[in-house]
Amino acid sequence: MTSLAGPTRRLPFGLSPIAAIAAFVLLVFVVMALLAPWLSPFDPARQTLLARLKPPGFTTVSGAVYWLGTDEVGRDLLSRVIYGARISLLVAVLSVAVSGTLGTCLGMIAGTYRGWVEIVIMRLVDIVLSIPAILLAIVTVAVLGPGLLNLVLVLGLTRWPRYTRVAYGQTLSVANLTYVTAARISGVRGPRLLLRHMLPNILAPMIVVATLEFGLMVLFEAGLSFLGLGIQPPTPSWGSILAVGRNYVGQAWWIATLPGFCLFGLVLSINLLGDFLRDRFDPRSQTSS
Amino acid sequence: MARVYRPELTRALFGTAAVLAVTLTSGSALAAGKDALLVTIAGDAASLDPHVQWDTDSYTVYRNIFDNLVTRNAKGEIVPQIGKSWKYLNDNEIEFELVDGIKFHDGTPLTAQDVVFSVQRITNPAFKSPQLSQFNSIVEAQVVGPNKIRLRTSSPYPALMAQLVKLSVVPEATVKKTGDVEFNQKPVGSGPYKLVNWQRGVRIDLEAVPGYWRGKAPFEKVVFRGVSDPSTRIADLRTGKADVIRNVLTDDAPLIAKDPNLQVLSVPTERIGYMFLNALHGPTADVRVRRAIAHAVDRKGIIDALLGGYGKMVNIVLTPANFGYIDGFQGYPFDPAKAKALIKEAGADGAQLTFITSPVYDQRVVQAIQQMLGEVGLKVNIATSDQPTFLKRRQGNPAEAGNLSTGNWSCACQDADGVIYPLFQSESIWSKYKDKDFDAAVEAARTTLDEKKRMDAYRKAFELLERDVPGIGLFQGVAIYAARKELQWAPTPNEAFFVFDMKWNG
Amino acid sequence: MTGFLLNRAAQSIVSFWGAISIVFVIMHLSGDPTLLLVPEGATRADIEQLRHLLGFDRPLIVQYADYLFQLLRFDFGASLIQRVPVMDIILSRLPYTLWLGGCALALALLIGIPVGVLTGLFRGRLVDRICMPIVLIGQSMPTFWSGILLILLFAVELRWLPSSGAESSVSVIMPAVALGALSMATYARIARTGVIEELSKEYVRAVRAKGVSGIQVVLSHVLRNASIPIITVSALEIANLLAGAVIVETVFAWPGLGQLAVQSIASRDFLVVQGLVVLGAFTHIGLNFVADLLYGVVDPRISLSRRDT
Repeated sequence: MTSLAGPTRRLPFGLSPIAAIAAFVLLVFVVMALLAPWLSPFDPARQTLLARLKPPGFTTVSGAVYWLGTDEVGRDLLSRVIYGARISLLVAVLSVAVSGTLGTCLGMIAGTYRGWVEIVIMRLVDIVLSIPAILLAIVTVAVLGPGLLNLVLVLGLTRWPRYTRVAYGQTLSVANLTYVTAARISGVRGPRLLLRHMLPNILAPMIVVATLEFGLMVLFEAGLSFLGLGIQPPTPSWGSILAVGRNYVGQAWWIATLPGFCLFGLVLSINLLGDFLRDRFDPRSQTSS
Repeated sequence: MARVYRPELTRALFGTAAVLAVTLTSGSALAAGKDALLVTIAGDAASLDPHVQWDTDSYTVYRNIFDNLVTRNAKGEIVPQIGKSWKYLNDNEIEFELVDGIKFHDGTPLTAQDVVFSVQRITNPAFKSPQLSQFNSIVEAQVVGPNKIRLRTSSPYPALMAQLVKLSVVPEATVKKTGDVEFNQKPVGSGPYKLVNWQRGVRIDLEAVPGYWRGKAPFEKVVFRGVSDPSTRIADLRTGKADVIRNVLTDDAPLIAKDPNLQVLSVPTERIGYMFLNALHGPTADVRVRRAIAHAVDRKGIIDALLGGYGKMVNIVLTPANFGYIDGFQGYPFDPAKAKALIKEAGADGAQLTFITSPVYDQRVVQAIQQMLGEVGLKVNIATSDQPTFLKRRQGNPAEAGNLSTGNWSCACQDADGVIYPLFQSESIWSKYKDKDFDAAVEAARTTLDEKKRMDAYRKAFELLERDVPGIGLFQGVAIYAARKELQWAPTPNEAFFVFDMKWNG
Repeated sequence: MTGFLLNRAAQSIVSFWGAISIVFVIMHLSGDPTLLLVPEGATRADIEQLRHLLGFDRPLIVQYADYLFQLLRFDFGASLIQRVPVMDIILSRLPYTLWLGGCALALALLIGIPVGVLTGLFRGRLVDRICMPIVLIGQSMPTFWSGILLILLFAVELRWLPSSGAESSVSVIMPAVALGALSMATYARIARTGVIEELSKEYVRAVRAKGVSGIQVVLSHVLRNASIPIITVSALEIANLLAGAVIVETVFAWPGLGQLAVQSIASRDFLVVQGLVVLGAFTHIGLNFVADLLYGVVDPRISLSRRDT
């Protein structure tokens, strides 16, 4: 969400209908994540082995109701989905922040300064891209042990080249634009040149990449869970619930369905909102409208 | 009827010349009728040279291509195969008489020399067989007659026969002629099926050998395919892409049982579901904590509620399918109150325990145990890593091995020697437990052929294990297969997958 | 031009070396396959013996030097698990990956780009509002979930397609859809962004003012200029397809390189993993080289000669 920071403008309320819906969905998820302890009817880690795989609406003899049913070890699915929002959002936000900042900076530097800096950075991009991300993930888990921070580290370290490639390509195509050249001639150098003159010009595609990446990070976390290397149990994430639930589509469809739709809704909303933001903050579409 | 998907329709819609060129090569076998058995296992075989690989996917396939020196019948008794009869000459020497007139698939007769060569090949360190440790007690193999061989072990070795169940016999002449690499890809055995085609990662095609010495093979063709996703394996079975599948999850079994065209085949195995407790490091170094854990784990709850009954309760770390199993041990009955008291006594209330695991193990069981221990006041942190990393920790020094883990142990030898010796003998890599008396007992049981003496030694060993709790036997594992209703087959406790023993009903 | 090519070749070799070295070190940091090879119950001595026989007890630097010398002779070694030359294994899997990746990419491009151009042209109108969310659906579902849903619908319920494997000519359809859906939205969004940006530029406005229709402008100018990000993303997207293939291939039991990579990593079959990395590095460096050349073709503002220095 760092990319929101157009310092010259605040988020206007003139949202398009789709963006408004997306923003609302996102807001619901964020609220869900923040208020999880108060919203959840049960402890999300609490198992009841005798109440495994119960369908939505299952009521115990003592009158407790599992509105969304229970999972493979008898935990309340609703509570797990509410808590799951926390991890899914946190992993995505942190890893996009890490990889986006790192990747964009390196890409701009490579595209602006050229020469050996460009060579070193772009070859490093090649090197990282040619190593299977899954290998890096497994090795990090092996060496550092599993956990939230290591997950963010894995995603940050494997995803930055994607920003770099785009930032580099975009920087190349704006480097010769009149005002950038003008700034250079007037002696603007270093971080000031990059941040004040380059960044605003390449921000739009970077936001596109970041929003796509945000969605991908949510999915990547899910994928690691599928391979058994995600967030550690009993902490739930949408990805980890879905990874187990997919094996139960035949017997207990409800396990995968809700976290699946939440994940889906999250990724879709963030992408739609990204579209809106890009249209709004693209310096060129602004100057020309 | 079962294999209905409509290639002609979809091919007309989507097919292109390129598609056909790439993939049509093997599509035709799908149309085969009931003379073919389609098997879906968890992965492609890594190797079909029986001396090169030791993993379930590989031996599930190659054991149908090769014959073994001896084998086990449905009851689990060791019975003749290539070896017609055998007798111990003394504690260290055993002589086998071989069946006459067996031929390898390439027509060469199977001789005593081939058997000796097979032993020498697998025990030659330079060959780097992963199975070396199963056979390296054999120090000499020699031909002593036209159909007689003699094996000598370095010391009396009671598990020898159990290990020889896994000795596949390869043709010396062919192996020497083609070389090891080539033989791996084009194995030649004497078993009921021969390899026709192996498309790596896609499928393995076997064909019945006419005139096989033990009788006519039940299916003309057998096709093995590797599918790692358990849900996809079930889809294969339901769509007729498979007739029988391996490694069915307990929660999937009821779903399959409901299908009128399918059946679940299951058998209690020699695999023991157990829990390891680190007796040398951390809070679990205190025997009271270990006993408390044993009291806190509701084994019956795990079996009935989690495993859907696919498991049998045991009170020791061994299954009734193994030699050395002793009835009558009480174990630690489920008693949370007693567990809490023991923990309080040990001053371990709120102690942090590390539960190491990998995706290979049933995560439902791991999480259930985590909660059960949480309820008696122990804080359990689960640390998942991939299997090699898990093994490195589990087999490493006690300080790195975590406090707890679960496992599914099978030595494929149905003998206590292959279970509690490696798990708890103090020198073993798996063991995080030291007890001189225990070491002496399992050592005694491994160096005599006298069954009575061995049972006595194991009784002593299990008494010590019950006292010190370096591990808890959770349940006897059950192998679950699923198949089409028409398949008739009784799976065996050693999880062997002999297609020769299967047949179509009616 | 020769200087440029030589320069790039030298850089490529350094990239190769970097990728191979990094993978060599991290693979060896994560343990070796000995423990996975031995049967349960092997003693410490047995394991040490096997480790010695396989050469994993040698100092890392010796193993590393050994491997590099092997590579210099174009010898990729043999798989420790399968005991078959690494090249044979990779070559037997490569056609499947190319076929699946090609189908997925074609699907993504053929649907993604037109949707992107269309929504860019009719930005904010109904077409835009309906098409984008639809394309995005494919990208918003984890493949291990959508994959099993596809199997249950098209294989188990409808019996239209085979549930797994690669034996029939139609086997590729489901995995290609699952995989292609991931990239479809990427192309659509990049194409849309490009079109919108180009449409807002002075020259387009000038041309349009002269009465040339939107479609014509798009076809003649806008698409060419919007193709820079599309090319950049394509080079990346192929890598993404290969990574995504890991899960798709697992779900559909597709015998490509993705599944091979996962299995080789899981079994610590070092030489196979390193062979895959060599192949990956080769592909990437080749693709980036092509992408760089294409920049020059589609956008004359970027000249190759400048990159020579």
